[in-house]
Amino acid sequence: MPEIKLVNVGKSYGTINVCHDINLKIADREFVTLLGSSGCGKTTTLNMIGGLDEVTTGDILMDGRRVNDLEPIDRDVAMVFQNYALYPHMTVAQNIGFNLKLKGINAADIAARVSMVAASLDLSHLLERYPKQLSGGQQQRVAIGRAIVRQPKVFLFDEPFSNLDAALRNRMRGEVRELHNRLGVTSIFVTHDQEEALSISDRVALMNRGRIEQVGTPEEIYARPATRYVVSFIGSPQIELMQGTVEAADGGPSVRLGSVLVGLPEGKGRFRVGQKVEIGIRPEHVRLGKTGIPSTVRLVQSVGPSTQIILGWEGGTLIATVPGFVRLDPGSTVRVEIPPEHVLAFDQETGLRL
Amino acid sequence: MTSEGVTFSVPDAPLRSPSRRHGVTLVFLGPALTVLVLLLVYPVLSSIWLSLTNASLSAGRLETPFVWFDNYAALISDKAAHNALFNTLYFAVVEVVGVVVLGLLTALLLNHPMARWSGFRVLLLLPWAIAPVANAVLWKWIFHSNYGILNSLLVGSGVIEKNITWFGNSFVALNMVLLVDIWKSTPFIAILLLAALQNIPQSLYRAARIDGANGWQSFRYITLPLLKTAIAIAVILQTIWSLRTFDLIFILTKGGPADGTVVMNFLAYRVTFNFLEFGYGAAIANVIFMTSLMLAIIYVRLMKPGALT
Amino acid sequence: MKKAYGLLKQTGVVLSLVVFVLVAAAPIAWLLLSSVLQQQALISTPPDLSLSSFTLENYTAVFGSAAQLGRGIFNSLVISIATTALAILLGAPAAYALARLDIRHADTILLMVLAAQMFPAIVIAIPLFITASKLGLIDTKINLILIYLSFNLPVVIWVLRGFFTGLPTGLERAARMDGATIYQTFRLVILPISLPPLFAAAIFAFIEAWNEFFFALIMTRQAAQTVPLVISAFAGQYQTVFGQMMAAAAISVAPIIILTIILRNSILRGFADGMLKG
Repeated sequence: MPEIKLVNVGKSYGTINVCHDINLKIADREFVTLLGSSGCGKTTTLNMIGGLDEVTTGDILMDGRRVNDLEPIDRDVAMVFQNYALYPHMTVAQNIGFNLKLKGINAADIAARVSMVAASLDLSHLLERYPKQLSGGQQQRVAIGRAIVRQPKVFLFDEPFSNLDAALRNRMRGEVRELHNRLGVTSIFVTHDQEEALSISDRVALMNRGRIEQVGTPEEIYARPATRYVVSFIGSPQIELMQGTVEAADGGPSVRLGSVLVGLPEGKGRFRVGQKVEIGIRPEHVRLGKTGIPSTVRLVQSVGPSTQIILGWEGGTLIATVPGFVRLDPGSTVRVEIPPEHVLAFDQETGLRL
Repeated sequence: MTSEGVTFSVPDAPLRSPSRRHGVTLVFLGPALTVLVLLLVYPVLSSIWLSLTNASLSAGRLETPFVWFDNYAALISDKAAHNALFNTLYFAVVEVVGVVVLGLLTALLLNHPMARWSGFRVLLLLPWAIAPVANAVLWKWIFHSNYGILNSLLVGSGVIEKNITWFGNSFVALNMVLLVDIWKSTPFIAILLLAALQNIPQSLYRAARIDGANGWQSFRYITLPLLKTAIAIAVILQTIWSLRTFDLIFILTKGGPADGTVVMNFLAYRVTFNFLEFGYGAAIANVIFMTSLMLAIIYVRLMKPGALT
Repeated sequence: MKKAYGLLKQTGVVLSLVVFVLVAAAPIAWLLLSSVLQQQALISTPPDLSLSSFTLENYTAVFGSAAQLGRGIFNSLVISIATTALAILLGAPAAYALARLDIRHADTILLMVLAAQMFPAIVIAIPLFITASKLGLIDTKINLILIYLSFNLPVVIWVLRGFFTGLPTGLERAARMDGATIYQTFRLVILPISLPPLFAAAIFAFIEAWNEFFFALIMTRQAAQTVPLVISAFAGQYQTVFGQMMAAAAISVAPIIILTIILRNSILRGFADGMLKG
């Protein structure tokens, strides 16, 4: 099983640059997700790894070998496409076995391998059906089956679940991760859904405008975002950022937002007095109580296990998530505490986390 | 054999490295391209060359004494050519107007909710599908002076007193030929315009109704503007095709009476295959070719992707 | 008041539809009708449509005549089928190449393909006639089979290219992932799902070949005469048996009508692929 390395990879179509400075190392058997909004270059990067798109600059190495000029089939990768891309004129069995047929494997072996894969995906009873007779979830499993049967070294997933409804999507996510665990094959997954990325990946590479913003475990990306872009993209609901100026830098650092002073996390030399920063705090860390900053309740939304409260205060908007059902009248005043150790601060100019 | 340059410029084009693609392109495109070059490019070039000669064919041998631009000079001063040119222009203009207007009316009619039956579209295809020769023969019969059904009906219902000799007068004959060709050509344009009509979302008409527009206003402010490109395309296409009329003239009038129905296309035929003046005929054919080519280029400009949607 | 106006509009539409049906169908109906009526019935004013006037003698006469209708039908069939097959064989891969394989001068080639469907035959007929004469191919079927490619091949390429450009690329990418070469992709994935437009293109090519007159006129003498030429012979100046004239025409027209009715969906679809996708 290979280790995959992207070294200074870039992609351009003529003068239009789509990706640049992509450096990524994917360990053997790792599940890595390329995350980002549309146009960020994640699918292009996936295609380059797979061999469907040519690399303009840089190298892609598999197990130390440069594979830039190799066809997908020669890289031993398999792909699950966004729109399944099942051959409409072939049965499920023929779809799954197609690549085996192209390799010249004899019919009996093909049938055996196909039925094994079909059984593992609960498709055995559908082998003679045509794609248009299947549901979305079944089609997706056929697409996965087609990839598995080749026993490739790497799985590539190109936003495979974006056409499925929410409930099905959740289930399929779990199935894909289970599959990965079971087969132990390196998987590279592309999605725009940050929740999806966080829930199933070993590591996430968040991409923005053709470059990688941050690579890290889901926990790292969530709790220790490298840039303002990362903290805004990751986390639901989206974090509210507020702008202010650093008032005190050492020994109890704080930032001034209007008439309020908010405490910043400790750390030598992290902040400079007068520095312009943007700060935010994850909703689950905001505490409502008797002490703290006065704010007005704007909207209260309960989803069952927790309640989301949108608050307005002098510095802007705050979102707080509290456990259980909480009733608060819109317009009423509550006090909110922003614990300094959970504050995420970013330099306004560079966007980097401080 | 030249190998076409193959460049990689289309995002997510599913194809391979340039070196592998050359061979494939050759195999896929080569044969067809060869045939097209032999059957189209070579004859056009050859025709240009021929037009610079006084070519004649005798006993399978081609004699081609060079006369440079004499044929074109002759073309400019030839009365028969002027006549043909005038007829062609008249024919083209009247046919285009007739076909596009009738085609639009037919398309509007068939777009009506009451006209959903597929049989109407089939009926529309019939005039298009039958052989131009058969069509010509049919109308020759219909227009027959003594026994044709048209005269029968007109005289029988009292519209006229005596049978009309439809192809007796030059100008009338030209218009009768026009009538028949319009009948045959309208279906294609109607289908084209119908498709464009059906691409206009119904919601626009509903919004217009709420805004208080009546039928005519809807047509004028919604339908027509959105059909502009389709109509332009129809005009160009029909102009190009009106240059092709041959079978009809050959069967109905053979160019007569008194050359009243000779168009450029027919003139070229007669000059080449009746008078055996290959060079002169080629010159006329070249003129027709240039005209068609220019119109085709205009057509291509109009047909940018999505032009009709 | 509004209701009366609505009713008036409805009546107008119905009337227009009736007129439309008559204008479109009546001439062709008259063609077929005339072919089975006796001469006497046809030349009387008004034509005598009583049952006793109907006959098949026109057809028997036409088949038995010196104009060799039987041979004409045979020639037309052979030529039309052969040229259609050739056009599809050469045109389908070419259309795919133009649609999917980035070809440098694709625009020029496509312009040529388009122009070929547009200009009148005379433009290329003279040199082709001379060449055919020199090669001794005048009055042969193979001559027409090849020459008809000059308009058949472009039509096939045009229609199929329109279709191929509209195909989503997912299938080809999946096939490439599966390890298929371009040949395999074309043969095993693209062609099987292209049957409807292939069929439509074939119908167009067949109809145009079956109906073709000009090249047949100048390139044949006796042996390779096609149906349109036979019809033309029956429409000569001295033809007075109108029923026979119509019978000859009907031989050409009737199969095409049946074909059009049965295959109307394919034909309309072919129009869409060819016409509406620049």
